[in-house]
Amino acid sequence: MRVNRKAVLWTLALVGFILLPQVITVKYYLHLSILALCWVIAAQGQNLIQGYTGYVSIVQAGFMGIGAYSSTLLGLHFDLPVWLTLLLAPCVTAIFAVITGYPSLRVKGHYFAVVTLAFNLVIFIVLMNWHELTQGEGGITGIPSPGGEDGWFDWSDRQTYYYFVLIVAVLMTGLAALIVRSRVGQILISVRQNETLVGAIGISAWKYKLFAFVASAMYAGLAGAVYAHYQSFINPEIFGVAQSLDAILAVIVGGSGTIAGPVIGAFFVVFLPEYLRFADSFRLILYGLALVLATIFMPRGIVGLVDDAWRRILARRS
Amino acid sequence: MKLLATLTAAIALASTAAFAAEKTLDIGVSDALTGGAAVYGLPQANAVKMAAQEINAAGGIKVGQDNYMLNVIAYDDKANPTEASNSVRKLIDRDGVKFILGFCCSGATGAVASFIEGEDAVMLVGNAAERSITTREIPNLVRTRPPADYTGAAAGTFVAEKGHKKVAVLGALDVGFYASYVDAFEKELNKAGGEIITRESFGLKDRDMTPQLTKIRELDPDAILVVGYVEPAAFIYRQAVELGIDVPRYGFTSGSEEQFLRVATPEQMEGVWDLRPTELTLLSASENGVAYHKNYSEKYGIAPSPSSPYAYDQTYALKDAIESAGTVDDVAAVAKALRSLQVPDEVVMQYLPVQGKMFDVNGQAYTSNGAFQWQDGNWVFVQDLPSDAAAYSSYLSTID
Amino acid sequence: MIEILQQIINGVAIGGVYVLIALGLTTVFGILGIAHFAHGSVSMFGGYLTFFLVVTWGLPLFAAILIAIVVGLVLGVLIELLAYRPVRHASHINAFIVALGLTMMVEGLNLEFFGHEQVVIPTDLSRVFEIGGVTIPELRLYVIIAAAVLIGAMTIFVEKTKTGQAIRAVAQNRDAAILMGVNVNTIPIVVFSISTALGVCAGVMVGSLFAIAPGIGEGLVVKGFAVLILGGLGSIPGAVVGGLVLGITEALAAGFISSAYKDVIAFLAMILVLLVRPQGLMGKA
Repeated sequence: MRVNRKAVLWTLALVGFILLPQVITVKYYLHLSILALCWVIAAQGQNLIQGYTGYVSIVQAGFMGIGAYSSTLLGLHFDLPVWLTLLLAPCVTAIFAVITGYPSLRVKGHYFAVVTLAFNLVIFIVLMNWHELTQGEGGITGIPSPGGEDGWFDWSDRQTYYYFVLIVAVLMTGLAALIVRSRVGQILISVRQNETLVGAIGISAWKYKLFAFVASAMYAGLAGAVYAHYQSFINPEIFGVAQSLDAILAVIVGGSGTIAGPVIGAFFVVFLPEYLRFADSFRLILYGLALVLATIFMPRGIVGLVDDAWRRILARRS
Repeated sequence: MKLLATLTAAIALASTAAFAAEKTLDIGVSDALTGGAAVYGLPQANAVKMAAQEINAAGGIKVGQDNYMLNVIAYDDKANPTEASNSVRKLIDRDGVKFILGFCCSGATGAVASFIEGEDAVMLVGNAAERSITTREIPNLVRTRPPADYTGAAAGTFVAEKGHKKVAVLGALDVGFYASYVDAFEKELNKAGGEIITRESFGLKDRDMTPQLTKIRELDPDAILVVGYVEPAAFIYRQAVELGIDVPRYGFTSGSEEQFLRVATPEQMEGVWDLRPTELTLLSASENGVAYHKNYSEKYGIAPSPSSPYAYDQTYALKDAIESAGTVDDVAAVAKALRSLQVPDEVVMQYLPVQGKMFDVNGQAYTSNGAFQWQDGNWVFVQDLPSDAAAYSSYLSTID
Repeated sequence: MIEILQQIINGVAIGGVYVLIALGLTTVFGILGIAHFAHGSVSMFGGYLTFFLVVTWGLPLFAAILIAIVVGLVLGVLIELLAYRPVRHASHINAFIVALGLTMMVEGLNLEFFGHEQVVIPTDLSRVFEIGGVTIPELRLYVIIAAAVLIGAMTIFVEKTKTGQAIRAVAQNRDAAILMGVNVNTIPIVVFSISTALGVCAGVMVGSLFAIAPGIGEGLVVKGFAVLILGGLGSIPGAVVGGLVLGITEALAAGFISSAYKDVIAFLAMILVLLVRPQGLMGKA
């Protein structure tokens, strides 16, 4: 009975997403939706390391930056087509993830978080200062969209890009579901619940943690690359620690350790600031307050809330 | 009965005529209203609002029979490229705005410039100094502030003429336009046989530059060039004195007396040069400038930043362009009118027209560059820097 | 030689600030296990408040500092009671997220009350001492001395007073401490009070030697955590060593390698220590 309910909900959601552009009248909200879908990809990645493995990493935006710049620069310098650079970007990010994951995973908990934060800062500083490679703060403009001008689709139409990102997001969400349901996923969850026990059974937790870290980085790299080809402009500003905090927020508010959570969280993170647009220092206070209250009163996120409400309805029926 | 009908008709006619005469024109501002760059962005937003108020008080913008009262919608881009694209898209898509002003910061502005050409809007750029913003031949974009390397070259010539041969540079070199200022400066310095002996960096949030200055002290330069944001730069000037460095200090930072005196004493600042566009400096301002300074200070309770008039002037340029084009809807016509505009009477900055017009073929305006020096607690205008707007304009057109 | 000495002196002052921030962090982190990210912003609040009291109300510096410490104490205790206590028994990720939210709130409060321009607490200390080519401004010297005094006071408190010993007991073994009659509910309040008081002092030092501006608090707290990693958690000597090492490394890196990448070099040094000795330079294995 439960499996059927979930399948129904997911199908409904999918239909909703497909119909979204037809329903939105103001183009601006379509733009936000595309950004939100990029964040869905990044948040699914964050969820793998944070929600399932239990290690909060603060470097997701840094990896998005590596993905974005890899895809852009590979296309620029080697004249590679966009579809190829989009596939290469997560691979380049994976290399960086292995390099950063190795020292970071030697420690746990808050230490791990701070070390990953330091790496995010390093990535940011290098992107800003290595002018010859990245053009620093001025950024790179004119990043091409996935299709040529005379291709099959009209890439200047925002709708086209929306469906493209939707397909990618759906694929990556499906992949996350597969990972989580597999043996690997079960081990990750065990690591979160009791890491010492995992080691005691004879499983090398370390390998699986590294896998989760690298996988989450690859998700981020892909999200960054997709973003770059949409905005056609990138600069280091948007790949800093503040954006990594957004990834964490998306997972927490949506529902940590669930597959639906990051989807909801990503839209929350992109759309909420829009509704808090009044006096800006006020907005910062409210945003922080929302975070604090959400963590205290709804620690399992929106998915958790919905789940609890559903349970209560079912309990009352029977 | 007939009298009542006539009266009603008369009132209806009169009110229609009154409504037809006064309309509202929404204009947008996208700028850094909070965060580290707010020292540049917020005064610009304030300047636009003040100009709009003045224009409204004088009867608004006249197009045909209608008077348009300006309504300013300002969004905070926090100097962040994604936020800036969001703000601008919101202004265009959701608020129906066609004229967007402000733009203090290069990264955010570059992001918007990369898509504005395909939009039904006109973009007026202010303080953002990254050169590539006006090299891409975007017909619906103009900028009131000259690119940094235009000023850098003039500064290089000036410093070379002072006889300096070994200059140490301490700058916010991760920022493109500051680096381009230094590059242009270096070219002119090299021509006169001088050289830059070192390039040290600092960031927007740094306040302790003693390590960099210690290294510079060791290298024994005959002058120092400080290029970057005013808030950390003030600390550089103070810490240089504390470390015992007493060679001439040249800078490209802008910044009011108040901003520097928060950090350093007048004695520590004595003799410091600022080689920059002739922005708003009270002791050398035009009549418009003096009035602007007075009005802004009264309205907002704090002195205007020296670069805020770039946005004030944008508003008046826009007004003149709309009136000249005779439309608030035909964006292409207004963009064209901007390109053929003469310098409006109400502007505060002192522009050098290119071929009689305020903006050149790239949409770039030029102000004169000046050498300012801190004397006795005030910035004093000493002399013009040797700058050639026409020559630079042609040079700009050759860049891709 | 002079250049190296000068760079080391340069690094000691900023290192002293890092030590103070790290002490505030290690107190809360080591004893309560909370990564109190908002510590930087709260410290800046203390600095801003001192500035306001001195400049707008004309109070003498020491009075202003005392008042700021008291107000800071209240703020710190409120944070403990309202924000961290509710999530005390939940997963540690929750406390972390609460800390992030608090950081935003305090930064927002600072912006709302004190504006976006940088502020500098005025002192009349502008003499510069010179010893054999190495210069040190008077203010810097006092900051170093003040930091040393505070560190000493902190050490005495933790080693010699009853409250200090109670705190260490709770840190080592909470259940045993309860059995021994230590009141476990007041300990967090005491801990946060100490931490915030130290933070306000750090904020005053940053505000008088450098400046307080939006965003500086967050930068400091990251460096503070880096010091904890370098020096070892829960160790006061570790915080001192870590802070000085970080400050001096930054100065030497900026002076001799590259000023653009000085933060990168400092963080890489931290990561190196992590690889070689994960418990920190002075931590127990």
